[in-house]
Formats: sequence, structure tokens, C-alpha cells
Amino acid sequence: MTVDFRKDFVNYEKSLNAASEDKNIRTAISRAVTSYRNTVAETLERFPHTPQLAEEVQEIKSQSMANLDNLVEQAMASVERNKGKAFYAKDHQAALEIALGIIGKGKTVVKGKSMLGEELHLREYLEDNGNEVWETDLGEFILQLRKERPMHILSPSIHVPREQVAEVFSKFFNKEVPPDIAEEVKVVREFLREKYFTADIGISGANVVAADTGAMVIIENEGNVRLATGAPPVHIVMVGVEKLVPTFQDAMKVAEVTWRYAQYGVPGYVNIVSGPSKTGDIEKVTTYGAHGPKEFYVIFVDNGRKEMAKEEKFSQALHCLRCGGCMYECPVFQVTAGHFGHTYMGGIGTIWTAFVSGGMEKAAPLVYSCLRCGRCVERCPMSINVPGMIGELRERIVYGKYED
Amino acid sequence: METKMPMVLDVISENIIKHGSPLALKGSEVASWAKGLNLPVKGELLFYTGGEYQMLPFIDSLVKTITHLDQGSKVFSMMMGARNLLNKTGFSPEKMYASVLAKDKDRYNSVCFKAAKVLKELEYEFCYSGNDELYSGALLYELGYLEDMEKYVQRVVEVIKKSGAKTIVCLSPHAAEVFKFIYPKMVKDFDFEIRTFVDLVWERREKLAKIQSKSVVIHDSCRLARELSIHQELRDILESVGVEVKEAAMNREWTSCCGGPIKILFPELSHVIGGRRVNELKESGSEHILTSCPYCLSALEGGLAKGDSAVIEDLIEFLYRGVKA
Ligand code: SF4
Repeated sequence: MTVDFRKDFVNYEKSLNAASEDKNIRTAISRAVTSYRNTVAETLERFPHTPQLAEEVQEIKSQSMANLDNLVEQAMASVERNKGKAFYAKDHQAALEIALGIIGKGKTVVKGKSMLGEELHLREYLEDNGNEVWETDLGEFILQLRKERPMHILSPSIHVPREQVAEVFSKFFNKEVPPDIAEEVKVVREFLREKYFTADIGISGANVVAADTGAMVIIENEGNVRLATGAPPVHIVMVGVEKLVPTFQDAMKVAEVTWRYAQYGVPGYVNIVSGPSKTGDIEKVTTYGAHGPKEFYVIFVDNGRKEMAKEEKFSQALHCLRCGGCMYECPVFQVTAGHFGHTYMGGIGTIWTAFVSGGMEKAAPLVYSCLRCGRCVERCPMSINVPGMIGELRERIVYGKYED
Repeated sequence: METKMPMVLDVISENIIKHGSPLALKGSEVASWAKGLNLPVKGELLFYTGGEYQMLPFIDSLVKTITHLDQGSKVFSMMMGARNLLNKTGFSPEKMYASVLAKDKDRYNSVCFKAAKVLKELEYEFCYSGNDELYSGALLYELGYLEDMEKYVQRVVEVIKKSGAKTIVCLSPHAAEVFKFIYPKMVKDFDFEIRTFVDLVWERREKLAKIQSKSVVIHDSCRLARELSIHQELRDILESVGVEVKEAAMNREWTSCCGGPIKILFPELSHVIGGRRVNELKESGSEHILTSCPYCLSALEGGLAKGDSAVIEDLIEFLYRGVKA
């Protein structure tokens, strides 16, 4: 069989060129880059133990990836012990079907930001199956209305200026929304508030999962995750298996390093959820669904991750905390944003594209647009050797040494 | 499975494998700068150009041709014709790139000459393989043609060995990188000491003559700064010649890439990135940009906006100012 990449390269190049001429992307990213560099520099100064903690986390991560099967088993048992229900999804389709099996049809779903959700096209799938789904992260909400895909893993709508937000909101809410950020935030707050309390199901991801306790750690600033995972009667966590670490203590270390490099400074909220809401206040009889969800489900998703964990040259890519730092330092990303990507973006995203979301054929053009300049490695708290992996992928592409 | 890659990759990799040069330049052309210097072919220290500076003006033409080329257009099929030509008779860049300006050719060719003069001035004795010198194959490594590279490098090593040298001094950090990190994995007993031009100059920098110049700003090359950890050396050298160095916000191991590595596949984007880097460098307060890598030199030149008065030079060219004619 012959795979001809020539057309793909030409089309991809066109999209990169168009993106690099887009003024919105250019301004937004350069603003974001400056603010990222400043916040991170400042918080690293305030919390100087961070780089060392990051090294510790690298070790935790590499142990975890070497021991992935056990961790999955242990975490599933912990969730069940906490009276939640745990599932393991081998692939993309299985993950979606398990979620749909829990949710059913005709439900209202509120959802927190999740790259895994993007990877699975979760919202679209649930909608196609007769549910109403709302993205509750402001950036994701904007993209939901604009029918676009994220342009950055942490600031998905980084490329949309306030004027364009006002435009799409005015249309959607059927009233004049001024291009004023506070006003824009307010209309969404009012709209979603009602959704949280009438929704049947809340879905979230997780930044880290502690296998020993079954604790899901979710970092956020907006407060949407608190509401989306606290108000509805059912909470479903969908999380990639690479987020597993052995202990609760480990999870705290990973969380701190994540938020520090993810430009949170100090995050507004860190949610830790380990099971359904319960009370024993009346006669010490445990009853579920006190104020929070009565039902709690966790779907651990593999979808290529275990394969990656087995590859010596690539398992390190699973250490990614999704802090986004590398993207801000990437000269290609700085002018093209998420166009340098498929679901996952930038250099690390290219590796993930090859193994998890898209496959080698989607990855090939991305692989060749990496400069291999190595600045991402300088930035990365996990020191992930992306340029090395890109080199390895190039070899596999040139000689067709891969299966898709 | 078999894969069909963009044509430019085929052209470049085949040229390296068949002709020992990414653009199939002839050995005599690559070595023309050394005429009259009477460099010996044997010695302890081997001066290695890899033909990298010499081919810069041709890369630009290749890229320009590709940029203005719509796959499916007449010109494109002409290029395809050129590729067939390549398979039969070898690529003929002389004809293909008749548009290359003589002044560009002269400038980039003379970089090697100037480097040799600077090292002579510092009393280094070295030899040069002349017409026999082969390209290091760095692009095979960069672009993923590692199986081909493994075979190719054996030929390069043969030429190097003929010199009898123990140490190789590379003008390009890309050559130094592959000699240092890749060759030892592919070649048995590849135990040469690998140095860069910058290393050697740095060691004898006290001997450099002072240079009259306004302040300069250094564009650290990614390979040099991050892979080879050479950045302070550049500053030391400039201090020795009495020139003030202004610093760009992103420098040393945080340097911003010039965009060069994706030039052959994504020329417009590469150009945008080069232009941004030029601006970043100019924000230092100096408009005189120095770098120490052939691809950075060419990519930054390419990124310079029309009418921009900034000057971009290789460190070699700059240091040559201090060499007595
Ligand atoms: S690769 Fe490193 S820098 Fe990039 S998002 Fe992942 S952890 Fe952050």
C-alpha cells in the first residue's frame, strides 16, 4: 500500500499560511505569551521550590506509566469502594458508548472543559444521540456557539476578541450584548446558572487521579466545574489513564506543578471528588445524594495511551500535564495557534495526534512543521523531549514504519 | 507500507545520497573558496565546511521556485521533469537556478574563506578535504531519512579519515551536532574530537585584533545554544574585540528559532517566523545582528523586511573585519 502525503502537506501549508496572516490570532497570542511569561516568572519566584517539585513529579510520572495496568486496577477498585462506579474504555468508541449508556436520551448535560472530551467528540456524540449538552467553561461555550474547535488547550477561544464574542452572544441570546467583557461574562453566568440546576448530568475531566483513594483532582478558576459536578444528580468523570498516580500525596504534587506552569498562579478552586455525595447525619445511616450527586461514575479511557506507554521512545509524552507552556514558547504555534495541531496542539500535541487522536496520517504534516528548535523542552516542567520524538516519527513516516 | 513524501524531500535526500550535497553542488564548486590558500589535505585538525554556507543561495532559489509553484501548474510539471532528470543524470542546480545572484553566491562562498583566514590569524594549522569533502548528512537526520543516513555517513567518514585528523572543526553547528551525537551511533569507533569554529576562536580570543563597530546583538542559534551549550563564548569573543553586545529578550538557551528548519517545506511560514525574530532582535537596541549558523544567517536575511536597515552577518564575517588583508 502507498500513502501519498503530498496533498495533505499542501492543504496543511495553506491552513498554516492563512492562520499566520490572521490578525486576531497574532494579537491574541502575543498578548497571551507576554502574560504567560510574566505570570510564570513571577510565581516561580514566589514559590521557588517548584522546579525541584517538578523533577519529583517527573519521577512519579515515569513510575506511574511503567505501572499503568496496576494503577488502573487499583483506581477502579478505589472508586467502587467509595460507592462510585468505575469503567475502563479500551478505545474511543467504547468510551462514548459507556457514557451514553449512563446518560441515555433526552437529558440535559453540563460539561466542564476537557481535552479528552475534544478527543472523543463527546458533545457532538451526545447531541447526536438526543441530548442537550452545554459547555460551561466560558471559552468552550464561545466555541460551542461558533461551532469551532479550540485553539489552545487552556484558553480554547484565545483567538476570538471581545467584539466577535459580543456578536455571537447577541445572536444567540437574541438581545444586544455589548462588546464589554464583564457584560459578556454576566450573560453567560445567568444563562448557565439555570442549566446547572436543571441538568440531569454533569461531566468533567480530571487533572490528576490518585489510585489509592480514587480521588479526582480538578483545577479551575471559573467555578463552573464546582457547579457542573456538584449541582446535578449524576457526575461522570471521563479521564485518560495517563492521569493516574499512585497516592493522594503524589496527586497533590502533580496538581501544584500543573497549576504553577499552567499560569494559574494560585488557582481559584481545586476540586477533589472521590465519590457520590452522602450523609450519615440521621441515625448514622449512610444515605447518598445529600446535596451533591447521588451517582458517581468514572470512565478511565485508554484509546492508544497504553500503547504509547509501552514505547520506550514515547512513553514520556504521557507525562504531559497540559500546562500549555510549550505552546506559548513555540515559534510555529505563536503564529498559527491550534492550526498547528489536530485535537492536541503544538509539538507535544503532534505526538499525541500520532498515537491517540488522529493517527500517523493526520500527524505527518504536523510532524514536519515542527522546527525541532527545542525551546519547548526548556519550558516543559516535565522536560519532555518532543524534538527527539518528532525525529523518531519522521523516520517512521519516511519509511512507512507504522500501522494506522 | 510505502509513503510518498513531498517532492522537495525526495530531491534533497536523493541529492545527498547520490551527490554528497543537498543541492547536488559539485565538489569543485563547494571547494572553490579555498583556491590560492594552499591548504594541505592531511593534518591534525580538519577544517570542515560541509558545503553548508556555499549552498545557501541555492536553497533560497529552490524555495523561491517552490513558493511560486502551484502543484498541478506547468512549472510544477517542469520540476517533476527536473526530478526525472535527477534520477537519470543528476540534478543540475547550475541550470535550474540560473537566477541566483552572483553577489549572493560570492558572499556565502566567501564565508568559508573568511573563517579559514580568521583561524590562520589565530595561528591554527589545519587541513581541508577540498573537492572530496562531503556534506555531513545533517538534513537526512533532520528529515527522518535515518536508514539512508546510516549508509551515507560511512562514505563521509572515509573522506574524513583520509585527512589523518584527530579533531574536526565545524563551521556549522548542524554538522557539529550530528558528528557529536549521531555519528557515534552509526559509525564504529568514530572517536574524533568535534569542535566548532566558535570554540576555537574563543580559546585564542585574546589574540584577536580590536574591531571598530557600534553595538551588536547576538542571535543564538538553537543548535549551538541548546544542543551544544555554546552561548557565553560568543559574548566573550565580542568582548575581546571590544564590541558592546546588546541582549534580545529571548536569548541564550531561550533563544527564538529563526524559522530556517521548515523553510524547504513551509517557506512562507518560515519567512514570517524569521521576520518576527529579526524584530525581536532589533528590540535589543542594536540593528547589527550576528549569528553563527548558516541556516540562521539565511533565514534571518530572508525575514528582513524590504527597506529594513538592519544588518545581518555571520560571526565569521564580522570577525574577518579584524583580520589583516
Ligand atoms: S509538553 Fe510540557 S510544557 Fe507542554 S503542555 Fe505538556 S507539560 Fe506543559
